[in-house]
Amino acid sequence: MDSISSDAARDGSICDEAIVLSVTSALAKDALSYFQSGKFHECIDILIQLNHKKRNDPKVLHNIAIAEYFKNACSNSKKLLEDLNTVKKQSEEFAKEPLEAVNPGSNVSVSKHQFDSTITTLNIAVTWFHLHQYAKCLSILDPLFLNIEPLDETIALQICFLMLDSALACHDAVKFLEVFGHLDKSFGVGFGTHEEIGSTMQLSSNQVSKTSSLLSSSAASDALKSDLAAAESGLCEEGLEYDNVLAEIEAEKRMKPVGHIPANNLLKTIGERSILTVDVKLELQLYKVRFLLLTRNVKLAKREVKHAMNIAQKRDSSMALLLKSQLEYAHGNHRKAIKLLLVSGIQKELRTSGIFNNNLGCIYYQLGKYQAASVLFSKALRNCSSLRKDNPVKLFSLSQDKSLLITYNCGVLYLACGKPLLAAQCFQKASLVFCRQPLLWLRIAECCILALQKGLLEEGNTSSDRSEIRVHVIGKGKWRQLMMEENGFVELGGSAQWPKLSLPLARVCLSNSMYLLNVSLMNDYSKSDLESPLSVMINETKEASWSDHGDADTNSELKEAKGGMNQDIIQNSLSAYKDIRRRENHLLKQALLANMAYVELELENPIKALSAANSLLQLPDCSKIYVFLGHIYAAEALCLLNRPGEAGAHLSAYLLGQEDFKLPFAQEDFDPWRMNMSSDCEETSDCSTGNARDSLKPEEARGALFANLAALFATQGHYDQARPFIQHALALLPSNVQATITAVYIDLMVGRSEDAVARLKQCTRVSFVPGRLEVRAS
Amino acid sequence: MTIMKMEETAIVWTLLQSDLRPIQDVLAEFNSKFTRSRYFPVCSSLSILLQDPMILRSTDRLIAFAIMHQCYSSVKPSLNPFVSEMINAACNEQAEKYERAFLLHLFQWNSYNNAKEIFKLSAADYIKTFDPSTNDFPELGELQREYGNKADGPSSHMFADYALKKLLHDPDVPRGCDPNSPEFDVQVQPGGISKIGSGDRNEAISGILGSLTMGGLAPRWIRPCPPRYPVHQSELLWIDPDNKHELVWDDKMCADTSRGATVRDLLVKGLKVTLSPTEQEDITTALSNDPKLVYHCGITPRKLPQLVEHNPQIAVEILTKLINSPEIVDYFTALVSMEMSLHSMEVVNRLTTAVELPKEFIRMFITNCISSCENAKQQDKYMQNRLVRLVCVFLQSLIRNNIIDVKDLFIEVQAFCIDFSRVREAAGLFRLLKTLE
Repeated sequence: MDSISSDAARDGSICDEAIVLSVTSALAKDALSYFQSGKFHECIDILIQLNHKKRNDPKVLHNIAIAEYFKNACSNSKKLLEDLNTVKKQSEEFAKEPLEAVNPGSNVSVSKHQFDSTITTLNIAVTWFHLHQYAKCLSILDPLFLNIEPLDETIALQICFLMLDSALACHDAVKFLEVFGHLDKSFGVGFGTHEEIGSTMQLSSNQVSKTSSLLSSSAASDALKSDLAAAESGLCEEGLEYDNVLAEIEAEKRMKPVGHIPANNLLKTIGERSILTVDVKLELQLYKVRFLLLTRNVKLAKREVKHAMNIAQKRDSSMALLLKSQLEYAHGNHRKAIKLLLVSGIQKELRTSGIFNNNLGCIYYQLGKYQAASVLFSKALRNCSSLRKDNPVKLFSLSQDKSLLITYNCGVLYLACGKPLLAAQCFQKASLVFCRQPLLWLRIAECCILALQKGLLEEGNTSSDRSEIRVHVIGKGKWRQLMMEENGFVELGGSAQWPKLSLPLARVCLSNSMYLLNVSLMNDYSKSDLESPLSVMINETKEASWSDHGDADTNSELKEAKGGMNQDIIQNSLSAYKDIRRRENHLLKQALLANMAYVELELENPIKALSAANSLLQLPDCSKIYVFLGHIYAAEALCLLNRPGEAGAHLSAYLLGQEDFKLPFAQEDFDPWRMNMSSDCEETSDCSTGNARDSLKPEEARGALFANLAALFATQGHYDQARPFIQHALALLPSNVQATITAVYIDLMVGRSEDAVARLKQCTRVSFVPGRLEVRAS
Repeated sequence: MTIMKMEETAIVWTLLQSDLRPIQDVLAEFNSKFTRSRYFPVCSSLSILLQDPMILRSTDRLIAFAIMHQCYSSVKPSLNPFVSEMINAACNEQAEKYERAFLLHLFQWNSYNNAKEIFKLSAADYIKTFDPSTNDFPELGELQREYGNKADGPSSHMFADYALKKLLHDPDVPRGCDPNSPEFDVQVQPGGISKIGSGDRNEAISGILGSLTMGGLAPRWIRPCPPRYPVHQSELLWIDPDNKHELVWDDKMCADTSRGATVRDLLVKGLKVTLSPTEQEDITTALSNDPKLVYHCGITPRKLPQLVEHNPQIAVEILTKLINSPEIVDYFTALVSMEMSLHSMEVVNRLTTAVELPKEFIRMFITNCISSCENAKQQDKYMQNRLVRLVCVFLQSLIRNNIIDVKDLFIEVQAFCIDFSRVREAAGLFRLLKTLE
């Protein structure tokens, strides 16, 4: 290398541009080969030389940043981002300079080329993707996608796949479809017309033949058989408990085929456009299935996954099997899902064993086997952390690290098991990824409320904590750049300590959740209404071609089976998904308002509670359960505000005649509620049992109405009216503390102190202690 | 949470029992032991004790009232949160006269203005020296008008209000039943009444003081907890291994940037003169070899009209390849807004057969053609005729190839035909329109 550069120096006198060019391009080639063989020190040395020759060439600086990152074992993503952003800014500034004026004509596009920041932008997005900032990744890639036609196919593919994965992670079906439509147009139909892609096909089919020969080897097929047997036996036996799972997994390990496919030596493939080796067609088909799964179009997904299996038959079918398993899981066929998951063989690779355990954990959760699920999730987490430790230099240790997602699952599980503190810890960790999801915040608030019910909250919700103005902003996310807004999103978590669970925290979480929900609703609204004329035009042409497509597809079955995405069906499933999302958001909003009202009541803030309850009651098409909660919270808040008349109106909405209440909602109301959520779930019984135990029962709700109306009468001095109601209430809720106290109060007020004492003696939840009487908290 | 701390309870209890010390001494000691912020809790406790006539001895009661008065002596009586209790006590006809008189002195009611003198006595002495013949006691209403406060007391809402006040007034409530504390309630009920008057009193009172809580016994509201938001199966995260999204090395670094240089040079030439067939061939081959080259060949929308004029075939070639570009709209705009000519029409005509053009664009182009013909009137009759012929042929071709829907443009085209009916091709076009009708 030195010789070349000294040559260049010696020939300096006759050095014309061409020679410089050839020297630098030779250096560039060397740098690339060092980079590909993982010799980052040498690579950087050459890049520094290049940088001396071509001052501030953004591309050199870019490659230096990349090489530095690998040299440091991919440890400093922050620095990489800073460097890349600097490079990007620089290239953009160079590109802005009026080059056309200086050298008109042919040179323009040459210079433009030099300052093209596409690769830099892509790498920034890749880095954010590995940091789980999917929305950010999407927004960075968006401008590239808008102008994707001129880009080289390899880069374009990389951008599109990255966008597809990010869109899936964000549940952004619209964005997904936009990108997928483009890919389908460029590669789905006209596939193989370009030389480049043709050779790719060749390459991947080579690999594939290797794989398939491996798969057909006897060891592998034996393993498959035993997997199946294990799955069958595991399921047929009575207990699906953890031991069985463990045994299955152990059997897996023993049967591990000797010659399993080694993961590509990643260092070798650095810099090569390894994505080219992916079979684009299969990939697209798999993405199609994932889209259908996202939009919960189970029927169509079933058909498409079959097609994917066909394509994948001679190749690596593990992904297709995994999707099939997910499909069965979504469908509620948990036995089948377990079987397919085992067959997919992803448990055999270190890289994916965590994923296997997590997915199995999900299935066991749905089966109501919380114990087994919890063991599986923690096993999955261990897999992830061992992956982190074992391969510090491995490029994408970050991206393969799914531990934050698994942690979220743990949170859901712990919450279901009634362990709010553990659950909250999980959710708080997972907030690095999910901090933009309203549901996460609701879950944390639920942890607070559950902790309150269980008496796990620390005392000291002093009045200063309760004030709304002093909301602490804790910590700044190491990576996130969340905008702080007044009355908007309160940033919690990140690297800093989370506050302990408390009601004020619940309040903050609920308002964060509501804020995010409103933002997303607003975005949906504006997206559908405000479209730039350009995109309208493009849409028009697109639609035109789509509709043509549709017309030709009268016997669509056949064509679809051949992989053409029938746009009508896709659009239908997209709009169906939008409906589902709208319903879910609506339900989420009801839940948020109900929780808000409850928390405000607990915090002794009836005005806020009343306004939350009123907003809840004003929502159209509210679930009967939330309507009931809205009435009862509003009534209590009104009592606390000394407005008994209005409070009574809320309660008497449920009056039947003079002295009876109807059931405010029926047990079935939980079912359509759930059916709304999962209209495609066949085995609803499984998931409903998980939730039913901690939900409010209709009879209890009726009892609460009796007791509360009695309390209301009592405070107004109408003891005679109050008494029959409290009798009803106690008949329905014999050991309810509040109802008992109200009854005692009424007894004392009408002078029946003996009755009161007798009542206290009867109530199972009262204990007489020497010197002090205590009523156990509900 | 209890109202008073243990040591406070002890102090208050000692003070209450100081029946032999001058009341002002007792008050002074109270002032020295308690800060202003503790007045309210202490007085609340005292007022609860005072509600029951049996619990405290008469001297204790006097001292308790004195403390309650003293704590708020710096404000108007109506601002004393406990004034209503004191008024009620002063008007309670079942109460001892000396107690009622004592309270009236505290209020400085009419002739009762001897508080200072009385404070010099001990509580026991005051009772001893009290003249039982005093009879001038005011009505409840009078005192309320004078001192009463209409504002709410210490409680803030109706549950609390009713808990405190109703119990205070109701004579049916058994004696010893203290409504302010559920604990107290039962503790006193079984034991308090029967043992009153004995040594138990101290124990009971310090017990009451020690375990008093702020809240009263009130009807309780059942506040159901909202159910947990249901977990949909999609909330649990099913993980798929994703594609390996790797950082990309920029291999354009110091790379040969001459990609397509020849084509670019040829095209620059093509903006000015018509290219030779071989040159055209070269461009076409290069463009089809590198599908992305078209984006880097230097033809911008601004330059397009020149290329169209001199090399319409190449223009068609380039536009066909750019059809998926987001900038294609700009190219179309350039095409529509350029001056009408044989070449521009040729380009559009050939484009229509090669790719699907947006309807808007074709429509705009036709409109433009027609208006060009009309504008040509002023210039040159010959040129106009020529242009009209071209447009007619162009339109016929579009119609025959089903590129445009005649219905969309019927009126416009018909008017055009009538305008130029002297031109043979226009008449032909008109007939064609009629057959399609």
